[in-house]
Amino acid sequence: MDDLKTLRELRADAPLPDAGRLSATRARFMSEGPEAGRFSAARAAAGPRGRGLRAFPRPLLLAAAFAAVAALVAVFAHPGQTGGAPPSAAGRYAGTAVTLERAALVAGSRSTSPTPRPDQWQYSRSMDKQANGPDAGRVQEEWIRYDGKRAAVFGDDGRLRISKVPPDPGDDDLSPQRYAERLRKLPTDPAKLLARVSADLHWINLPVETAGGTAGAEDADARAFRVLSVYLGQQAVMPPKLEAAIYRALARIPGVRIELDVQDGSGRKGLGVFRDTGPVTRRYVILEPGTFRYLGTRMVWLRGEEINGEIAFRAGSVWTVTELASGIVDRAGDRP
Amino acid sequence: MIADARSAETAEDLTGDAELIRRSQDAPDVFAAVFDRHAPELHRYVTRRLGDSLADDVVADTFLAAFRRRGHYDVTRPDARPWLYGIAANLIGRHRRAEVRSYRAMARTGVDVVAESYTERVDAEVSASAAHRDLAVALAGLSAGDRDVLLLIAWADLTYDEVAHALGIPVGTVRSRLHRARKRTRAALGGVDPTAFDEEQDRG
Repeated sequence: MDDLKTLRELRADAPLPDAGRLSATRARFMSEGPEAGRFSAARAAAGPRGRGLRAFPRPLLLAAAFAAVAALVAVFAHPGQTGGAPPSAAGRYAGTAVTLERAALVAGSRSTSPTPRPDQWQYSRSMDKQANGPDAGRVQEEWIRYDGKRAAVFGDDGRLRISKVPPDPGDDDLSPQRYAERLRKLPTDPAKLLARVSADLHWINLPVETAGGTAGAEDADARAFRVLSVYLGQQAVMPPKLEAAIYRALARIPGVRIELDVQDGSGRKGLGVFRDTGPVTRRYVILEPGTFRYLGTRMVWLRGEEINGEIAFRAGSVWTVTELASGIVDRAGDRP
Repeated sequence: MIADARSAETAEDLTGDAELIRRSQDAPDVFAAVFDRHAPELHRYVTRRLGDSLADDVVADTFLAAFRRRGHYDVTRPDARPWLYGIAANLIGRHRRAEVRSYRAMARTGVDVVAESYTERVDAEVSASAAHRDLAVALAGLSAGDRDVLLLIAWADLTYDEVAHALGIPVGTVRSRLHRARKRTRAALGGVDPTAFDEEQDRG
C-alpha cells in the first residue's frame, strides 16, 4: 500500500473556499495590512524599502520651555541647489548644522520616561494620508503590548480585536521592548552612530540580508538618513542622549537640509528635516519647532513616478504619516 | 503592448509573485494580488489540517505576517507559495494540540472532526476508513517538524526544495524528516516498503 497515496486521499474533500467565503478574510487582511497606516505609508515614508515607523511622541511638556529656542533658528533663502522641482516655490530653509545642534541640546536635556511593564500597552493614534488616496486621510488607533505579544485595533464592527501575531523579530517590526533594547545598544557618539547605521545590516532590506548588498541597494548616506528617521520615530523608548546623537549624526549626512513650515498630515507646521532620495522623492521627518518632538513623516514626489508603464504618483503628490496621540495604558482599548 | 480592456488584470495575472511583492514595498495595495492568487489554496490546506473554524484566522494572520515582512522576500524566487506555507506552518503550529487531538480521536473513534467541520451533510457522521484511522495514529505520533514536512509534500504538493525553503531547513533535513515520517506511516498501514531501509540515513 502506498502510504503517500493513502495520505493524499485523507481529507481530500476539503473544499476550496469561494470568493464569498474569503471576502471577510480578505477585508480583514487589507484593513490591518496594506490599508493600515503603520504598515504601509509609514514604511514607504521611511525609505524606498521603508521600514516600520512606530512612533509615540511623549507629551509636549517642554513646549513652553523651548519656545524661545525656535525663535532663534536662523532663516536663509534657499537657492534651490538640491535639484528637481522644490516642493513649494516659497520654501524657507534653516541652517542645517545650527538647527540640528539646537535639536540635540533640547533632546539631550529631556527626562527619561519610566520603563513600562511588559503587560502594559502602547497606544498610538496616527493619520495616514496616501499620495493617491482619499484626501481626508485615514486615522488609525492601535495598541501594542510592550512585550509585543499582542496587538489590538477596533474592527469595523466596533469590537476590539486582539491579535496574537507578534512583531517579527527577524524584521524591523519590533516590539516596543525590543526597540528599547536596540536603541540602548546604539552609540551616542555621533560619528560612531553614523558609522553604525550606515552599515546596519538589519536595515539592508534587499532581497535578502547580505553583507554586500545587491542591485538597487541604497548608498550609505541614504541608508543612514532612512535608518535614523525610523529610530527617531521610536520616541516612547528613546534615550535622550541617543536622540541628541541622532540629530548630530543627521547634520553630518550630505544632502540633509531643514525646511521651515512644513505641514504634517493634520496641518501642524514644523521643521522639515529632509533629504532627496534620488531624483524622484524627497523625504521629511517633521519636528515640532522648539521642542523638536517627532510629529510624523512626509514624502513628496519631485517628479512623476511610473510603475510598469503607468503613472503611479504624479509630481507634487504628498504622502504623510502623522502621529496624533500616544501613551502607555494598562489595557488594550484604553486611551491615555 | 497590451491594449484590450482587461489589460490591467491580465498584466497582473502575468506578473510573478516576486515582482508583485517588490512593487508592494511602495504600493502596499498591490499585495492584494498575492492574497487573491494564493489564499484559496492556503485556506484549503489549513482547513485540511485544523478544520473549518480556524482557517479564516490562520489565513488572515499568514498574509498579515507575510505583508509585514515583505521587505525580506527573496525576489529571486518567483513563486511565493513556499514562503507563505512556511509562515502558515508556524501559525498552524500554535494549534498543535488541537490538531493532534483530532488525529487521536479519529484513530480511536473513526470520527474525523476536521472533516466534519467542513462537510455540509449534517445527517451523516463523517467516518474514516480503516486505512485512514491507521494513518491518524501515525500522524498523531509524529514530531511537529516531521509532520510539517510530510503534509507540505502530501497535501500542499510542495517539492523538497520548496519545503526546505518554506521551513528554513536544508534539503537534506527535508529528506531525513520525510524518511522518518514515512517509516511511521508505512508501519501504521501495516505494509513495510523494503526500499525504505535502503535509503541513506541522512540526518540533518
